[in-house]
Order: sequence, then structure tokens, then C-alpha cells
Amino acid sequence: MSYFKVTDLTVGYGGKMIVNDVSFAVERGELTGILGANGSGKTTFLKAICNILPHEGMCEMHKAQGMTKLESLSAKELARLCSYIPQRSGISIDISVLDVVLMGCNPKLGILERPNKEMRERASEILKIVGLPGKEEMNYQFLSEGQKQLCILARTLMQDAKLLLLDEPESSLDLRYRYHMLEILRKSLKEGESSAVVALHDPALALNYCDRLLLFSEGRIVGEMIPAKDSPEEMERKLMQIYGPVSLHRYEDRAGHTQLVMIKEPEEL
Amino acid sequence: MLVVLAVFSLFVGKYPLSMRELLAGNELHWRVFLTLRVSRTVVGVLGGFALGIAGFVFQTVFRNPLASPDIIGVSSGASAGAAAGILFGAGLGITTGWLGFSWVTAFAFAGALLSVILAMALSMIDRNGRNSTIVLAGIAVHSLAQTVLMCLKLTADPEKELASIEYWIMGSLNGINSHSILGNMILCMICVGAVFLLHRQIILLSMEEGEARMLGVNAGKLRLLLLLLATLMVSCVVSLSGLISFVGLVTPHLARMLTKNSRASTMFLGGIFGGCLLTFSDILARSVAKTELPVSIFTGIIGAPFLIYLIVRGRQKI
Repeated sequence: MSYFKVTDLTVGYGGKMIVNDVSFAVERGELTGILGANGSGKTTFLKAICNILPHEGMCEMHKAQGMTKLESLSAKELARLCSYIPQRSGISIDISVLDVVLMGCNPKLGILERPNKEMRERASEILKIVGLPGKEEMNYQFLSEGQKQLCILARTLMQDAKLLLLDEPESSLDLRYRYHMLEILRKSLKEGESSAVVALHDPALALNYCDRLLLFSEGRIVGEMIPAKDSPEEMERKLMQIYGPVSLHRYEDRAGHTQLVMIKEPEEL
Repeated sequence: MLVVLAVFSLFVGKYPLSMRELLAGNELHWRVFLTLRVSRTVVGVLGGFALGIAGFVFQTVFRNPLASPDIIGVSSGASAGAAAGILFGAGLGITTGWLGFSWVTAFAFAGALLSVILAMALSMIDRNGRNSTIVLAGIAVHSLAQTVLMCLKLTADPEKELASIEYWIMGSLNGINSHSILGNMILCMICVGAVFLLHRQIILLSMEEGEARMLGVNAGKLRLLLLLLATLMVSCVVSLSGLISFVGLVTPHLARMLTKNSRASTMFLGGIFGGCLLTFSDILARSVAKTELPVSIFTGIIGAPFLIYLIVRGRQKI
């Protein structure tokens, strides 16, 4: 039985289909990446899973008593199961970094309850993990865009949901923090026995960190890859559908780990 | 500072009071002190506090630093409602009921509530939910409330009702007495207490609706509840004092500038600044000229330059 399953998901607005009849399944502990050109429907797809956008089709998640339909859950019940990182958080007020991370406790708290001491300590620990130690009292608005994204990742980890949905979380991070973020994500999936679906802009990250990749084009899944198993030639063929001519190469880094590198080949004119 | 202003407010006014006379048991001094000065000071302190808290709620929930009870038309809606209360309440022959609740208060609240509902409905026309839309919707609602007010003034008796309505529009703490404030202030403080209990939810509403929902927030219902509480607070104050501008807009910003966060303590500080601003403005209103001046003149003199400063600061950030 799959841990998380999407069946025939279709989303459209303004008379235009953005996501068309998408189905896939995710196993427990799996990091599933979504690759696609700008405007291919990745963000709309993630928002539909979160129930932020109305849609047709069904999203189900494994719970002790069987599969639960996400569409039937209240906001609080959904937030206990799923967390979501948007491309940019809409926080526009002066607020401390610690308070942003503690927002992740909300699904576990009653409407009048406040985060307790343990939650505050856990929030500080998570801030250390994501690379923002000692920034608890700093104004969130004074952080760089990359630091803001790490802070939102900390909030997501605080939420401790079983399914993490991330929309291009690396878009405003520099090279070093991009890899750092994906390392944290993988580690947290292993520790928390949760799964993640992450839309990525950077194919190198997707190829080296994701267990499974879904290739999106015009609101449909046009290919599926397992980078650790599939041959570079097979993956090249699939990736060409969204990036045009590319070549894939396996290189060993200085620690002896193999990394996949994608090179853009010249387009035939 | 608020305590100092409050003490000062007890002794400033047309009829000079002195501590010596009060201690000597002068009956007239005590009557003025208890029925007029204490109630006026209570409205200055608690009313200003409530306006500051309401401003914090409006700015956070609408995700707009320029949103305030004035700017989104709540105050003018309440004033139009209060004018209707003056006209029709007198016709009903009831002026004061249980705990001092009056038809004017009820009509002011209804007017304010109607303004919020209308402003929110208009802002929903913009599906992108842009912050500027609510301000534009507020301007439209404000204009509409002003039109209603003008129509009501046209039908008012020039010698009695029109004077009362004009007094409302100018905004003043003059005429407040101990009989009229009890109900309003109790209701106002209950709302303030409820808003403090819901502070964490207010902060969660500062995010976009989808993001808040994914943190388990039922944004629609919660926003409505908080706006109702804030509107009720504003109505309780303006139904006693008339239109008071800039207090709800300026004081939450002052508090945030000092603390650089939006915690409950910051909201409380915004309330304290609100109390200081209204009490200080009221002291000036009854002491700078021979006749008492409208309190909004002074809240405006302090608030307007600060609004300009916010606009300039906003442009510099861009």
C-alpha cells in the first residue's frame, strides 16, 4: 500500500487546464522531486494537493486505519498530516525568527493555547540544524531571502508532518545552502519516517537527492525516473522533453560519492 | 507615562480642581471629579488603548500597514450609524438602557459592522487579494458612509439633532459622564481581553490564506471573529467620543518600531501608546484654548506627519 497517493488530479482556472489528470504514488521515507519548465503547473499541482486550490481527483494518505482522503479533512487535521513551503512566504509583519518557527506548533495546539517550554527549546534546536543558530530574537524581515527560506524550512520541521510539500525551496538559496537544505530534508525524512514531494528548479539537485523524479510538462507527467537505478541515456531521453538536448554524466566527488551532472547541449537550429 | 497623563487629565479642565479641595471634602469638587473627570479619563485611557489594539488587529489581519479603523471606513461607518441613532433613537423615546447602553451605541456598532462587511465584500472583487484593494475598498466605504451622514444631517432638526451629530463628527471626550460609559467600557474591555487571548491566531492570519491554512488555521472564520471583536471595540469608543482619527493607525507602528516584533507585549504597548495619545490629545483639547477643541485635531496633528513618515520609509525600502 502506498504512503501517499494522487489519483486523476485535475486543476483549472479561468477556463484553462493547468494540471491535467495526474496520478502518482509516494512510498514512506521517499523524496519525490518534480522537474518542469516555468509555467508547467508544478506550483498549481502542489497547491491542489494542499487543498489550497479546488480540484478534481483525489489525494489520499496512509494512516493507521487505512487511506484517508485529504480533501475531507479540516484545516487543522490536514496541517497535522501535511506541511507546505511556498516559493516565498507571505509574512510581511515584524516578527521574531523564533515566533515564525513556533507557528509550526499550531496544528498541535488549541486555539487559545500557547507553545510550551519544550516547543521553544525544540524550535531553537531546529534553528541550529537549519543553520540559523542564535537568530531566535532577530526580526524575520531583516533576514536575507535565503535565510528566510531556511527559517520557513525550520517551521516546517517544527510542524513534524508526515508529508512535506515544498515549492522550489532552493530558488533563493546560494549553492552551498541549496545542498544544505536538501541534506536536512533527506535526514529529516529518514528520522521522522515521513515523505516529501518537492518541486525543484535545479536539475542537479533533483538528480542527486531525489529517490524518484516526476517530469512535468503542460500540466501532465511526461516521464518518471529513478536516478539511482535508471541509466544516464534513458534519463537523458526523458529530460530532453522538458529541457531540450541535454547530456548526463556521472562524476565522482573527492569523497568518492558519485554525482550526476547535466549539461545543456546546443539546440539544433 | 500613561499614569502621569491620566493623573494630569483628572485635574485639567474648564472647572479647576485641586487636590487640597478634594482632600478637604469639597462636595462640588468631588462631584465634578467623580462624574466628569474620572469617566473622561477612563475613556481617554481605555478608549485609546482599545483603538491602539484595534489598529494592531486591522493592520495584521488585512496584511496592510495602512489599514486602521479610520482608513477602512469603520469609524465613519460608526459615525453615520451614531447619527442615525441620534435621529431614530430619539424618535423611539429611549436614550439610555441597561448598563448605559444606548441606541446611539447600538446604531454606531451596526454602522461600523456594515462598513467592515462592505469593505471586505468589495476587496473580494480582486481575486489576487492585493493589500491595496482593501484600502481602496475602505475609501469607497468611507465615502458612502459620508454620503449617508450628509443625508441624515439634511433630515435632522437644526437646533437639536444636527448639533448632536456635528458634535459626533468632531470627536470629543467632552460630555462623557459616569452614567454613560459603564456598559461601553465593560463591553470594550471584554473584546480587548478576547483579542489578547487570540493574539497567536492574529499573527497566523498575517500570512497569505493558503499558507495559514497549511498551518491549521481556519482563516475565513477566524478573520471574521477578529474583525467583529475589533469593530465592536472601535464602536464602543466612537459611540462615546465621536470620530477619532489616527490613534489606531499610528500607535501599533510606534510599538513595532520599538520592539521589532509583533508579540502580545507589542500589541499591549500599542494599546498603551493609544491611551497616551488620546489622553494627551484630550488634555490639549481642553487646555490650549478658552473653548474646548475637538480631540481629533490633536490626534491628527500628531498622526498625520507619522503617516507621511511611513510612506517615505516605505518608498525608501523599495
